[in-house]
Parts: sequence; structure tokens; C-alpha cells
Amino acid sequence: MDFQGIHDHLRAIEAPGLTGFDEPRKPNPEVKKDPGRAGDPYVIVDAPLLPDFLMVCREDPRLAFEILVDLSAVDPSKDDENLWVVCSLLSLTHKHRLAIKSFLPKESPVMPTSTTVHRAAQWHERECAEMFGITFERHPDPRHMLLPDDWVGYPLRKDYEFPEEYHGISCT
Amino acid sequence: MGLLEKQFEENVLTTKVDWLLNWCRLSSIWPMTFGLACCAIEMMAVGCAHHDIDRFGAGAFRATPRQADLMIVAGTVNFKMAERIRRLYNQMPSPKYVIAMGACATGGGPYYKFGYTVVKGVDRVVPVDVYVAGCPPRPEALLEGLMQLQRKMQASSIVRKPARTA
Repeated sequence: MDFQGIHDHLRAIEAPGLTGFDEPRKPNPEVKKDPGRAGDPYVIVDAPLLPDFLMVCREDPRLAFEILVDLSAVDPSKDDENLWVVCSLLSLTHKHRLAIKSFLPKESPVMPTSTTVHRAAQWHERECAEMFGITFERHPDPRHMLLPDDWVGYPLRKDYEFPEEYHGISCT
Repeated sequence: MGLLEKQFEENVLTTKVDWLLNWCRLSSIWPMTFGLACCAIEMMAVGCAHHDIDRFGAGAFRATPRQADLMIVAGTVNFKMAERIRRLYNQMPSPKYVIAMGACATGGGPYYKFGYTVVKGVDRVVPVDVYVAGCPPRPEALLEGLMQLQRKMQASSIVRKPARTA
């Protein structure tokens, strides 16, 4: 199925948490400095319902998204009040893909873990947690992934400030 | 040889203690395998037949700091690794030497500004004797660094200098 077909099907089966979608478009020549939008089309899903949505995508025989290719997060800008959580799904049965975006407020970035559906999400969520400060509730192994255990701050946030020193080693 | 010439029988050479010991040391520098990133590939190339670091007696890469004289820090050093580097350096027997190979080990390299976990130069953790520039350096550059280190070792002295009298 192409994106339109997948989206229509998701609408038809009333997938939980589905709130909308976005598609790439060409720049409008009538509007000044309109950049358009590049990239893939994606569906927008309510963050608290993301695991349920992934479950439906996996179990529905016409979608059959068995593989979670990636789960990552984005801090779009300093002024934006949301973080994005971006997932990509792949179906080997039907050979189609889907991109999913969820928005989380920066003030309390908490969402349920997707490891209950895709165990591959474990490492990805651990990385998102340490880099962006997102809390994944009921994560089975909420340790740091790459950073040292006692690292302060979330480095990939736009408002991150470098530490002065780490264990006596100067950072500047 | 001056005064000492022909004073001894055949097959006896005269030299200085410093020169002899330095020559022994610099002719068999045993480096520690310390590849952290892409510089390690060049370091491996130096160890292979084409460039052959063994010509300088420095081909015996040791997997333990206790048998090594030289630490070639080849690659990006992050804070998690820096503590291990310090510990490994402390485990090396004296006299010990460090070569910072490449831009990252010298001063953070391309990660200088936004690399939040990259140490801005391994000299913040251990004392460095020779810096080798490049990203990554050519094998010849590392060999040149090794020769610089040998020159430096040649100048060192273990003999206590006699106290100056007024």
C-alpha cells in the first residue's frame, strides 16, 4: 500500500491515537520564501496512545508492520514547546513503510514505553531518554545507553549547556 | 675517540652510559594497542608490511599497559574513555611516553565545538610527548612522530649530573 492507502485503512479501522497526517509539498511560487516540505509523509499520533497504535499496526493483517526500524526524538527549536518522537515502521509481508510522529511537551516529556509491542524499542528509548530527557514509563531497563551514568543534562536538547568539567577533566 | 683510542684490546667499544641506555630504549619502544577511532586504521597500516613500524623496533603492540612503553592515542577520546586512559597510563611502567595521534586526540578535532562528550585533547588527561597532526594522519606522519619521540628519548639522561660548585 502507498501512504494514502495506509492512512485510509488506519482511518477505517479507527486506529487508536491517530490525529492527522502531513505530506511533503512543493514550494508555492506565489508565496515569498516558501521552502515547501521535503521528506516522507507521516501520520501524527497521540503520544500516550503510541504503543496501542503500534500494536494495531502490527496485528492488522493488511498493515502487518512487524519491524520497528527506528525510534528517535527531535528537538526542533529553542522556541518550540514540543519535542518530537519519530518512529519508522516496516512491513516485510507487504513491503511498505510508515513514518509516525508524536509530540511531547518539553515541560513534562512523559510517554508510555513501546517495548511492550516492539522489544527493539528498548535501546532506542534508552537513547532518547538520556539525550532528550524523555521518560518512558514502565521501561524494563531505564539505564543510560551511551553517556556515563552520572552525566548531567540532556545533550541533544537545544537549550543544553556544556558542563564546566567532568570528573576533574576540563570540558572547555 | 681521542685519549681512549687504542687503550683497550680489539672488539671493545667505548660509549657513554646515557647514550647506550637511550639507544636500547628507543630501539625497542613497545606501543600499546590503543585504537579509538579511524586513526587506528592508519596505526594498523603503520604496523603492516608496507610502512612497517618494526623497522624502528616499535612493532610489538602489547595488549596490556604493563608491558608497554608508549601509548599511541589514536582516535577520539570521550569522557567515559578518558578515565580509562588515565588508569591505563598509571599502569604503564616508567619511562613511559604518549603520542597524541590525529586532530581528535590533539585538541578535540571536528568535535571541538559541539562534541558534548569529547575531551578537547588527551593532554587534559595524560602528559603528551608528541602530537601528530592530521585527520587522520598519513602513516608516514605517525612514523615521523615516532622518530621525533626517539630524538626526544635520545636527549634524556639517567645519570645524575654532578652538583655545581660555586
